[in-house]
Amino acid sequence: MASGLALSCRIAWRDLAGGPGPGFRGLAIFLACLVLGVTAIAAVGSLSRSFVAGLDRDGVKLLGGDVDLRLTHRAAEPEQLAWLAGKSRARSDVIEMRTMARPLDPKARRSLAELKAVDGAYPLAGSLVTDPALPLPGILAARDGVWGAAVDGNLLTRLGLKTGDRVRVGEAEFAIRAVIVKEPDRVASVFSFGPRLMISRDALPATGLVQPGSQIRYHHRLLLPRGVSVPAFIEDLKERFPDAGWRIRAADEAAPGVRRFVDRLSLFMGFVGLTVLLVGGIGITNAVSGYLDRRAATIATLKCIGAAGRLIFAVYLIQVLILAAVGVTLGLALGAALPWLGVVTFGHLLPVAPEPGIHPTALATAAAFGLLSAVTFALWPLARAREVRAGDLFRDRVAPARRRPRTEYLVLIGLGGAALAALTVATAGDRWFAYWFVGGAILFLSVLRGAAWAVGRLARACKRPPGARLRLVVANLGRPDSMVPSVVTSLGLGLAVLVAVALIDANMTRQVTERLPERAPAFFFLDIQPDQVAAFDAAVTAVDGTANLRRVPSLRGRITRIDGRPVDQVEIAADSQWAIRGDRALTYAATRPEASAIVAGEWWPADYSGPPLISLDANLARGFGIGLGDTLTLNVLGRPITATVASLREIDWRSLRFDFAIIFAPGTLEGAPHSHVAAVEAPASAEDAVERAVADRFHNVSAIRVREALEAAARIMEGVSWAVRGVAAVTIAAGALVLAGTIAAGHRRRVYDAVVFKVLGAGRGRVLGGYLLEYGALGLLTAIVGAGVGTAAAWGIVVHLMNSDWAFDAPAALSTALFCLAVTLLMGLYGTWRAMGQKAMPHLRNQ
Amino acid sequence: MTAPLDAAAARTAPPAVRTRDLRLTLESEAGEVNILRGIDLTVGQGETVGIVGPSGSGKTSLLMVVGGLEQATGGTVEVAGQDLGVLDEDGLARFRRENLGIVFQDFHLIPTMSALENVAVALEFAGRKDAFARAAEELAAVGLSHRTGHYPGQLSGGEQQRVALARAFAGSPRLLLADEPTGNLDEHTSDQIVDLLFGMHAREGTTLLLVTHQRSLAERCGRMLTIRDGLVAQDRPALRQAGD
Repeated sequence: MASGLALSCRIAWRDLAGGPGPGFRGLAIFLACLVLGVTAIAAVGSLSRSFVAGLDRDGVKLLGGDVDLRLTHRAAEPEQLAWLAGKSRARSDVIEMRTMARPLDPKARRSLAELKAVDGAYPLAGSLVTDPALPLPGILAARDGVWGAAVDGNLLTRLGLKTGDRVRVGEAEFAIRAVIVKEPDRVASVFSFGPRLMISRDALPATGLVQPGSQIRYHHRLLLPRGVSVPAFIEDLKERFPDAGWRIRAADEAAPGVRRFVDRLSLFMGFVGLTVLLVGGIGITNAVSGYLDRRAATIATLKCIGAAGRLIFAVYLIQVLILAAVGVTLGLALGAALPWLGVVTFGHLLPVAPEPGIHPTALATAAAFGLLSAVTFALWPLARAREVRAGDLFRDRVAPARRRPRTEYLVLIGLGGAALAALTVATAGDRWFAYWFVGGAILFLSVLRGAAWAVGRLARACKRPPGARLRLVVANLGRPDSMVPSVVTSLGLGLAVLVAVALIDANMTRQVTERLPERAPAFFFLDIQPDQVAAFDAAVTAVDGTANLRRVPSLRGRITRIDGRPVDQVEIAADSQWAIRGDRALTYAATRPEASAIVAGEWWPADYSGPPLISLDANLARGFGIGLGDTLTLNVLGRPITATVASLREIDWRSLRFDFAIIFAPGTLEGAPHSHVAAVEAPASAEDAVERAVADRFHNVSAIRVREALEAAARIMEGVSWAVRGVAAVTIAAGALVLAGTIAAGHRRRVYDAVVFKVLGAGRGRVLGGYLLEYGALGLLTAIVGAGVGTAAAWGIVVHLMNSDWAFDAPAALSTALFCLAVTLLMGLYGTWRAMGQKAMPHLRNQ
Repeated sequence: MTAPLDAAAARTAPPAVRTRDLRLTLESEAGEVNILRGIDLTVGQGETVGIVGPSGSGKTSLLMVVGGLEQATGGTVEVAGQDLGVLDEDGLARFRRENLGIVFQDFHLIPTMSALENVAVALEFAGRKDAFARAAEELAAVGLSHRTGHYPGQLSGGEQQRVALARAFAGSPRLLLADEPTGNLDEHTSDQIVDLLFGMHAREGTTLLLVTHQRSLAERCGRMLTIRDGLVAQDRPALRQAGD
């Protein structure tokens, strides 16, 4: 066994080292496909880990301390603060809320801003960079009775102001003394409602914005004494104040939203990388097949002089492994270097600078995928190579074996495929999506292969189509070594990915830019005080064009127990995790909101008075594993309230209508300090008037322009979708590589055909036209099949995974399909042009 | 190196080749083609047999079946006492490397291996530890000790066929199958190759089955077999032998 392996290695190496033998150049496609796939997977993995490493490195800075305690509506009690002071070496208290910033000129535009009131200890970690570079306490301090502020440059642009100007916030006036260049704890959020406006905590009372029930977030940030374990401190804190109702975060959860975004994006990009490897796998099969076909005479010779079939298989498997090792090494080098270069060059431009470095796990995963796919996709041609008939040497026409491989090799191929699927599931961040990916890949590969088979059958069944040129095209499409199967499968799969991405993107963009604005209100208003509601309603409805004003009471609370069990002990579905991450908006109502329908239980009577009852989002109930009669415990303003689920509602969140996942029955929340939120519809022309009417009179009320928010969301989606499309385009590059390999493999045949046609008197134009027709037909078939598969995939994802409405976007699908057709034609034209330039005589002699 | 068989040994040893009612039928798009239609043949150890016949008569097919490269569809074939019909693919490969040498019209050297490696590889398959030393000896025997490191593409046709001869004889085979070994060579080079072939046969005592279109070449063998339409049309001592 060992000597057999040693012999196989010796012969394999000798054969490779002896120089480029027949068909060796075709292996360039093998290397290119493998390098592309491994690079994609290694790069995505490395980049994702660089981001995570950056988040870990900057955790304390991003959080603003070792631990952050967040409360809504109220600050911590003095007793709690005293305990925290005793347990920490430094503390900073920060208050955040939304507000309207108003220039002194009454005609100038107002802007929503994210207000941050900081104390003298801020920032505990990292440093705030301003322009001009001045100490923060000096910037924010009161001078001549006017408080100072530092703002985002963006806010100045929106308000048409500059450093030195003044701005009103609530009832107070602030001098803008600096622009914030870098805020250490401004966590990269994918979406925010307004630019930063930073003031002193001491200035906040002057604004009059701190009203009962206002949506104000109080952060208490701590630096722990050195040597104190953060988890132990948190356990201690929970035990000491079990009902404090604060959200506790440590530095390793500094930016959970960014972490989730990176996870999702890298999951998707990882799947694209795998698709590249899958498409490239077809190129690997073709390249190895072409290489071994050209080696048929050598294989037959080896068999004649006594090499067993198993030895032949082993020799060429070792050669494939050597080449795969070269390809994987190159891919790993590129996959490690590209993100590193990107991070070093552009990392500082990102809100969370990724940590450049070599990430062995990402590289090992990519290497495993590369080697496994190279071997799996090479097995079929390798297994067939051992079937080359040695006796053909006597006939001077050694033909490549076309038989199906033996059963043991088919089992090996199956095992290779299963191992690839298992590796995909094992290394994916989300198993459920990985199962979908594997299932989808198998299904779509089968469909593409089946379509290619059907085209071949159809072409063979087509008897004598009119015209010599068309006859030649049909004959070439139907011949046994036709390009149809590999091109339709590989380029078709690449195209399918691109079409699917384009269609999903078109559907989501349409949802944000067309469908939502149709239904959405023009404004959302926050923090309306109970004593302002009548005047607020009157002021808004007085503006011409406003309609459908809806206003409801609102306050926030955290879910702490589900049916009596603490939330961290309950298994909660992934799509319901959002509800326990932070504070939830709550309301109370006597009558059922119009937007949602009761699907279980009954709405309480309008005059209900009794133990706390809630109506719950049916989807959330499913995610929590509870139903009617079960309970939810919420911490509202530090007080635990346990309420029984009386009804379940099906809510369409996409409608942007006012609705709440949790609605209390009358009698529980009315007594708690709370504010109101409102929404109103208005034409675009009336938006400025509405904003002025509210902002000028109700300084504490924040107005969110829905159109602007949606536009901002659309811009972000556009940016993300271009990045995603860019990565998805790599699959087309892999498909094009396979196409190039297939065209190169058929070069000899094409040269011979062209030479024969020329000898028979066909002009250059005629021969060229014939080939263009063939590539056109091939490209068109691939475009139709790939676009069809891509559309089906997009439909499945949009309708079943995203639970969204579906509309076919013909321009998106067609432009992508036409691109594929153009690629096929151009590459075919190039290949044919080279073939046409060949001299006739040498080829006729050689044949 | 194996010593030539003496007369006594030749009498007791099984024949080098024995076929009984040997048939070969192949499927083609036009239907079944009967290539060999019942060949009975016995070739003694150390014999040289020239096989002639028109194109398509079945000469090469007979060589392929005897070499275990094509499975007979009827009858039996024994080589050196071994029934080839009972061997599987790996068994046939083992049998070939231990008992057979083959020389082709087109040389069929491995283009990525040097002359020395081309000869040694067959010996390596047979598990010979001295593969390279023995290969060097064989190349010296065919007059190519100065070309051992050259690749086939760097050798003339005659030199390539010498390497092929060295490869075929290196393992001291019991049976050598040669298919038109001079078919691609000029007259002068052909004569050199034929002299070498018979010289090596004389040295090794190897049984030789030689397919050729050249009657003059077939006449250098001890026996001449004429195949026609898949059957042995004539089996007689060669004239040169008969005249001796």
